[in-house]
Amino acid sequence: MIHRLLCLLLLWLSGASLATADERLHYPAREMDGEAPGRLVIHGALDPTYARPILADFHARYPTIDLTYRNLDTLPLYRRFLEAPGEVDVLMSSAMPWQYRLANDGHAQPLNTPEARAWPAWARWRRELFAVTFEPIVMVVRRELIERFGRPASHADLLALLQRHPEVLRGRVVTYDPNVSGAGYGYAIEESRLSPRYWDLIAAFGATDTALAATTGEMLEGLIDGRFWLGYNLLGSYAREVVERHPGLEMVVPDDYTLVTQRLALIPRQAPHPDEARRFMDFLIGKAGQQVIARETSLGAVHPALTGPGTAWALRSSHGDALRPVTLGPGLLATLDDLKRQALLTRWQREFTRHQASLAPTASQDDATRPADARQ
Amino acid sequence: MTRPNSLYRRLLTWLLLPLMALGGLMVLQAWIEARHTADRAFDRLLEAATLAIAEQVQWQDDRLWLDLPPAALEMLATDAEERVFYALYDARGRFVTGNADLPGPPRESDGEASTLRFRDLSWHGLELRQGIRRSRLEDWRQRERFEVRVAHTREGREGLTNELLRANLVYILGMAGLAGVVVVLAIRGALTPLTRLRRAIRARDPRTLAPLELSLPRELAELRQTLNELLARMRRVRANQERFIGDASHQLRTPLAGLSARAELALRQDDPQRWRDALEAMQATSARTSHLAVQLLSLTRLDNPEYQPDLLPLDLGTLARNAVRTHWAGCHRDGIDLGVEAPEAPVTVPGLDWQLEEALGNLIDNARRYGARHITVRVVVTPPVLEVEDDGPGIPAAQRLLMLRPFHRGSDDPEGSGLGLAIVDGIARTHGARLRLDDGTGARGLKVSLQFPGEAS
Repeated sequence: MIHRLLCLLLLWLSGASLATADERLHYPAREMDGEAPGRLVIHGALDPTYARPILADFHARYPTIDLTYRNLDTLPLYRRFLEAPGEVDVLMSSAMPWQYRLANDGHAQPLNTPEARAWPAWARWRRELFAVTFEPIVMVVRRELIERFGRPASHADLLALLQRHPEVLRGRVVTYDPNVSGAGYGYAIEESRLSPRYWDLIAAFGATDTALAATTGEMLEGLIDGRFWLGYNLLGSYAREVVERHPGLEMVVPDDYTLVTQRLALIPRQAPHPDEARRFMDFLIGKAGQQVIARETSLGAVHPALTGPGTAWALRSSHGDALRPVTLGPGLLATLDDLKRQALLTRWQREFTRHQASLAPTASQDDATRPADARQ
Repeated sequence: MTRPNSLYRRLLTWLLLPLMALGGLMVLQAWIEARHTADRAFDRLLEAATLAIAEQVQWQDDRLWLDLPPAALEMLATDAEERVFYALYDARGRFVTGNADLPGPPRESDGEASTLRFRDLSWHGLELRQGIRRSRLEDWRQRERFEVRVAHTREGREGLTNELLRANLVYILGMAGLAGVVVVLAIRGALTPLTRLRRAIRARDPRTLAPLELSLPRELAELRQTLNELLARMRRVRANQERFIGDASHQLRTPLAGLSARAELALRQDDPQRWRDALEAMQATSARTSHLAVQLLSLTRLDNPEYQPDLLPLDLGTLARNAVRTHWAGCHRDGIDLGVEAPEAPVTVPGLDWQLEEALGNLIDNARRYGARHITVRVVVTPPVLEVEDDGPGIPAAQRLLMLRPFHRGSDDPEGSGLGLAIVDGIARTHGARLRLDDGTGARGLKVSLQFPGEAS
């Protein structure tokens, strides 16, 4: 009973809360002699569960700063910023293309501190955009499936599994719906660039009537209560904690390729409290803040000097060759292109529904040839 | 070099200033060149990106369609991490897709099927370089035109520009340093003969007037030549002075020796009548000698170039009449006819009356001494002339100039000092007047005239 309650609480924290908008954490400034109290407003697409240890540590170091953290979904966060660019000091989001677009359009101010200069080049863009976490995209599998068919260690294994046992797995697999989820769409773009076999995988998903979810939390929920046996493309940082608490689940980091997504932080050009913002950023990419991330969260610390569990170093040493961090570059802008999005989603939908076409040959003929003709 | 007006400094300034201006121009040109080169290199990226995008433009669902290749955008960002913008426009200039509504160039008449242009663009406070490709679909039916615009910020270009410029700057600075050193050395070398000349002049014996013998470059050789000419003139002047002093002492010694001999002779005798004769003769000689000494003194004074007396206006007519009055008695005694021809109206010139009186006295005296019977003192109004004409033997034209030299005498007249005309010449010079010696009326005798400058008033 207690166990179940705990589960529900966890679910609320990790999964459901992803979709909930506008949660606030507030750390009031402590009065101190001689120091003027500062203010700092942070908007982040980061669950309070994960944000809290980071913010608490920062507040312990700088108790005179009145700290407000607002948790928003990625898209509202982006839109709210564009509407009121002068209300926030630090912007943190896992929606890499949107964050990149803000920086590319000149909304970020450069950070010129020793910490910023020491930050690895692959994890920053200019000195404006800093990748502060290292989160693999993983599969979560129930033990029942492993016991029956073995552990799918790679995308190829998964594809073979889906093609061999479509009847058994019908409705038992869950993944992101790219039409609904920005993250899911982002992964789809990256994966389709990595390998054309991705489309076979989507077709196989379609053939097994794979369920589509909007968030990692939703998928984890279904996996915990046994509706699904396999979840594909879950955010590793969120899945890790749930899996640790549920012996029935196992997290699989694919060994052929694993996407790695990173939360990007920037200081807006019109930040009302730039000094405090710089101090927070220095903390976030400094050794201290990164240590908190490594020790007290599952987000994955990026700092090159940190080793041990909970760091990028740890993940690299176990899955080095397979890791594919999303490149922090203008290629991300292509992800945001409307036509590109339409094209990819059309293709995705076509591949996902291919099995229906094969059930009705005449219809499939039409369906398969029409876009091809149009492309010429 | 620190003195305000130095040749060295002037040369240095006028050589180094243009050199520096030239250097500045070279730096400017190097910067423009470097920028141009960097632009050319980076424009290739814009070209490739527009091409990669244009190749993906299709006709789908009755509209322009673009499956944007991420690589096209990634190639626009180099190590400098430029900001990247792209946009696709249709034939009517309507935005199809992109991450920024980039301004395009004014639309031209549709000539060629495919064009590519680059331009600098200032957009939302960002300095961008833009590449614009106009193209058209190569479909079976569809030949729709479209325009791809991409742009990126200039960090990479600036990086390359600075790199190229740095290399050029080192070269230019090296050249400038070398040129400066060469200029300084060249000026020093060119000015060395000047120092040698100065040393040669300073090292000379101050009494010597010998010409300078020194090998110098042409420009300074001219200066040496001028200096030597000046020295030659000074040598001639000194020779004249020495001769004058010799002549003068000779002239003074003769009467003094006569005096001494006469006194010695008289002392040998006991007859008082003889003594008296000797004393009378000695008085006449000493009077003549003192007259000579006075004349020498006035000639010395007149010859002094620094003697500039104040001239006062005086009437030539009055002057002439006074002179005739003074000398008339003496002339009358010798049976000489002395007359004056002067207008009633005053002829005024600036002058010194005592000098002009002496000049007239000398001239009348000369005429008497050389055997004239008629002497006329004449004043002419325009131009103001004072002249003395006689009917004596005159002077041949060839000898007239010689007569102006001291101690030169027309004949062996023991009474004359030979200074009369020389003194008149000196007085004429003091008054700025011209002294002329001419034949008298009827080609007989001598006419000496002093023509004063300007009009009589």
